[in-house]
Amino acid sequence: MKRGRSLCAAALAIIAAVILVPVARAQQKSDATDRTLQAMHDELDRSKTRMQIPGLEKPYFIEYRLLDLDVRTITASFGALVSSTTSHNRFMDVNIRVGSYNLDNSNFISGEQFQGFLGSAGQVGVDGDYESLRQDLWLATDQAYKSALDSLARKQGFLRSLSKPPDVADFSQEKPLQRIEPKAVPDWSNRDWEQEAKQASQVLRAYPDLYGNRITYTLVYETYYIMNTEGTEVRTGRSLAAIEAGMETQAPDGVPMHHFYTAYAIHPVDLPSATEVAHQLDTRGKELIAMRTAEPMPAYGGPVLFESRAAAELLAEMLGASVSGSRPPVSMVPMYDQIMESRGGRSEWLGRLNSRVLPAGTSLADDPSAKDAQGRPLPGSYSVDDEGVLPQAVTLVDNGTLKDLLMSRRPGQDFTQSNGHGRALFLGDPHAESSNLFFKSANGVSPDDLKKKFLDECKKDGRQWCLLVRELDNPVIGDIHDEGEVQDMVAGASSGERVPLEVYRVNVADGSEEPLRPGHLLSMDLRLLREVSGIGNDPTLFAYEQSQTLGVQGTALAAFGASADGLPSTVTAPSLLFEDVEGREARGEMRRLPLVPPPPMQ
Amino acid sequence: MNAELERTLPVLGKAEPPAYFISYTVTEGQHATVTGSNGALLDSSQALTRWLQAEVRVGSYDLDNTHKIGGTQPAFQPSPGAQVPIENDAAVLQRAIWMETDRQYRAAAEALIKIKTSKEVQVQSAEEHAPDFSREKPEVSIGPHASIQLDRHPWEEKVRKYTAYFRQSADVLNSIVTFTAQADNQYQVNSEGSKLQFGQVRFRLELFIQGKAPDGMDIDRYYNFDWTDPNQPPTDDAVMAAEGTMRHELESLVKAPLVEPFAGPTLLTGRAAAVFFHEVFGHRDEGFRQKDMNEGQTFARKVGEPIMPSFISIVDDPTKKTLGNDVLLGSYPFDDEGVPSERVTLVDHGVLKGFEMSRQALIDFPVSNGHGRRQIGAEPVSRQGNLIVESSHAVSNAELRRMFIEEIKKQGKPFGLLIDDIAGGFTFTGRGQPQAFQVQPLVVYKVYTDGRPDELVRGVDIVGTPLLSLTKIVATGDKPEVFNGYCGAESGSVPVAAAAPEMLISEMEVQKKESSSDAPPILPHPFHDKQAPKPQGDHQ
Repeated sequence: MKRGRSLCAAALAIIAAVILVPVARAQQKSDATDRTLQAMHDELDRSKTRMQIPGLEKPYFIEYRLLDLDVRTITASFGALVSSTTSHNRFMDVNIRVGSYNLDNSNFISGEQFQGFLGSAGQVGVDGDYESLRQDLWLATDQAYKSALDSLARKQGFLRSLSKPPDVADFSQEKPLQRIEPKAVPDWSNRDWEQEAKQASQVLRAYPDLYGNRITYTLVYETYYIMNTEGTEVRTGRSLAAIEAGMETQAPDGVPMHHFYTAYAIHPVDLPSATEVAHQLDTRGKELIAMRTAEPMPAYGGPVLFESRAAAELLAEMLGASVSGSRPPVSMVPMYDQIMESRGGRSEWLGRLNSRVLPAGTSLADDPSAKDAQGRPLPGSYSVDDEGVLPQAVTLVDNGTLKDLLMSRRPGQDFTQSNGHGRALFLGDPHAESSNLFFKSANGVSPDDLKKKFLDECKKDGRQWCLLVRELDNPVIGDIHDEGEVQDMVAGASSGERVPLEVYRVNVADGSEEPLRPGHLLSMDLRLLREVSGIGNDPTLFAYEQSQTLGVQGTALAAFGASADGLPSTVTAPSLLFEDVEGREARGEMRRLPLVPPPPMQ
Repeated sequence: MNAELERTLPVLGKAEPPAYFISYTVTEGQHATVTGSNGALLDSSQALTRWLQAEVRVGSYDLDNTHKIGGTQPAFQPSPGAQVPIENDAAVLQRAIWMETDRQYRAAAEALIKIKTSKEVQVQSAEEHAPDFSREKPEVSIGPHASIQLDRHPWEEKVRKYTAYFRQSADVLNSIVTFTAQADNQYQVNSEGSKLQFGQVRFRLELFIQGKAPDGMDIDRYYNFDWTDPNQPPTDDAVMAAEGTMRHELESLVKAPLVEPFAGPTLLTGRAAAVFFHEVFGHRDEGFRQKDMNEGQTFARKVGEPIMPSFISIVDDPTKKTLGNDVLLGSYPFDDEGVPSERVTLVDHGVLKGFEMSRQALIDFPVSNGHGRRQIGAEPVSRQGNLIVESSHAVSNAELRRMFIEEIKKQGKPFGLLIDDIAGGFTFTGRGQPQAFQVQPLVVYKVYTDGRPDELVRGVDIVGTPLLSLTKIVATGDKPEVFNGYCGAESGSVPVAAAAPEMLISEMEVQKKESSSDAPPILPHPFHDKQAPKPQGDHQ
């Protein structure tokens, strides 16, 4: 076993560690030929019966998780190959709980923790070898148990000092699940991915004003194992294929600018062809060059129309922490609350069950078991969640009223059972997260009617032009050489500041559009959704990676992710019209233009 | 690279502030790693990367953007560089160089303004009047491209086998064996006219095992093999012999008693002495430390003065590739600033003569001696290459042991300490910290004067003043031993070697190491568990 690392570091270390979509449909109760299952089973058994320090509590729950990961990553720039790697690795994580479901060592953040010699997580052998895995699990179990005892003692001490300790339980009791799906078998040989990455990015050589670009293909197959002392035994195979590209330039006045392109599929074979990707990059190259010299978005207050794709992106950012019904952890560290607050980690729907949170006639549902929508497979789907619970479709909002929330095995004040939404990146702590969100309205109108309504509202305001948003930004993918811009752009997300990427000035007189250089839209938080003044009947699927960077998961920043640190997710939403939104010019630092002109590209 | 340099120089050379030096380095790395643990393969992978670093200096050789003022942080925060295509596509590389150069120029220009402003109000140390960058002769050398042809499969089998062996011991809790092969090629051009291409191939096998004493103290054993000829890997017999020793030492250490506080005669074996000199002397003799007000400037004003016994001389010689049968890991033809490596005398018969120098000049040492080194992504500073300790008072190891026993008797001590293996720890050279060093002895024996066998002890920490212990060397053995390793410091991790003979020190002070709070595992090793039926695993 290689020394356990912090989960954040681990997530970064491996090129892509992704929770993916079921590969297989066939399933059974056991697989006698799988030495991995057997080693996990035997060591779990030994630990369950004998793991105890005399005079101290036995574990009430032991869980083994193992991730077998095959990753192929190819990066190219301007038609030249930058890197191409293939890796096969396995990782384990042991989770032990002492105390009781009601009060245990979890949900507690303290400044210090047990420092063991190896840690309870780490890299293990890829051979499917029984002996070495038992040895690795033995040591990790030992470390997890000591760490759990240490945390529980600290937590009990801290709780005694609180005037009102939390009255929500720490862990839900769930029915054990036995489900053995076939292992994921990598198949990325059917296309020449290096050639495709080169061919697709080659088109960008035609834009001498593009400073840099990068396209990355990430193909991942994983087999996920989870086993616990309640009797759960799960093996599930998943895969994900991603194309993520960024390109950057600088406006003549020095403002750094970028654009991006993403495509996500469950199987590599379903990724768009090189010709299609080249076409998409070419379009975005053109758009970026046009934005470069476009007029900056001025200060604004008035109607804004979010076309369906931008509306779906907006929901992904806005809903963030609010869809989760899990309790927050008890924290000894005051900084923790401040950090979560500043990242938009506070639910806006807390305590609002059975209240109106969306316009009448609209609904919001999340369905991890949905296979496809509008004929497209949904990368957010999974057959078992990361805590070994079967996923359920959840109707969060019905006819505008909040009815339900997404739950992991961490209970909350309104709901105590998991509904199969415990998701984790790379054996990290599972959190209640969305998978495939659907925002629907019974009163949607056609895009033409919605645009007409938009222009009417503008006229009523006596405006000559209004703002239309076609796409929101993802600076994490778009900005290749981040020199502080990403931080600047995401900093306001928690206070409802949204960063459009494609924003147009629409002339009220003739409906014509003129691109603007992106600015910021202000105070766009969930409350604004209640006052939406028009909804289209044009639902569009937006696939993205919910960022799981440490401290960001479940916050407004979670929408800014990439396959290296995200959970595949989708939001399906129609166009949305807002009556009154404020905006301002981007205040990014202007950089001097390069003194030397760009070199020739051919 | 040349095309972009030619395009850039005339423009940035006339800009305000003007760039007076520009260099581009592309490092191509072909790296293969095969790792095993506890009898199974952990990882087997190979990657080819090319990394670009651009350096732009504005101002002048005497005062530029890298100038450090007093105790402040450097104003210049360079970009670590950028990954560039592994294919030879001149246009794409040129564009990456252009962007990187602009980024560096902006940062450098900004830094120079800050430096010029604060220089007027800050106290100056003497060495701050030394030039920021030395003037060097341009070098042109195009060497052959280094590459490795490697079948990882046999190594996958070997790491499985090498780690499976350790399962036989209930005391070995965890084992990791790593094989690495790397071919690195550097391409460098600069505005002074240097054009360099050189490459190196290195192979390494590392063995690491972990155990715990009954009180929870971590017991680690480590061994490494280094070679440069692909046809000369260590034989299985040599590896298994090393493993046998490691296992025996670990099992003995687990049972060994704790050391008690002691001050008295100490014998360091060659490998231990080599690590000791690397940490205690080598790091403090790095040129850039003499310039920094935060550093203790231990040796800054001691040039020409005796600092250790007159029979000790020390050189750092990166031009030397082997010593006896051992490969020296700190060999290289040019340093990371494009300066040819040089053998440099640091101590001559006890007298301090010089420093390991990069292009960061000192008043009395205005030029580099080819020791400007860095890990990819960092800025070069002066570092060690192959530190070699020589002695003109060398006796056979048997004679040295006899002198050791005599010294113990003379001092009236019940025993002396024999330090057989030492881990390179962390040397505190900053002024804010105590002038003490923490090298960690791993294998230590009590040596008695009455003929009793040597007795292994554990938990030994060295305490004391480094300069003082250097003056207390009584005599040395006559067979130098080599320690190869990767040394981490300000400019990242670089390969180094240290070589020294056995060394008798009249007094060294040790204390008991703090123990860990992590007790040994509660359950026994699954394969040495008498309460459970033997696991029914089979090998595939």
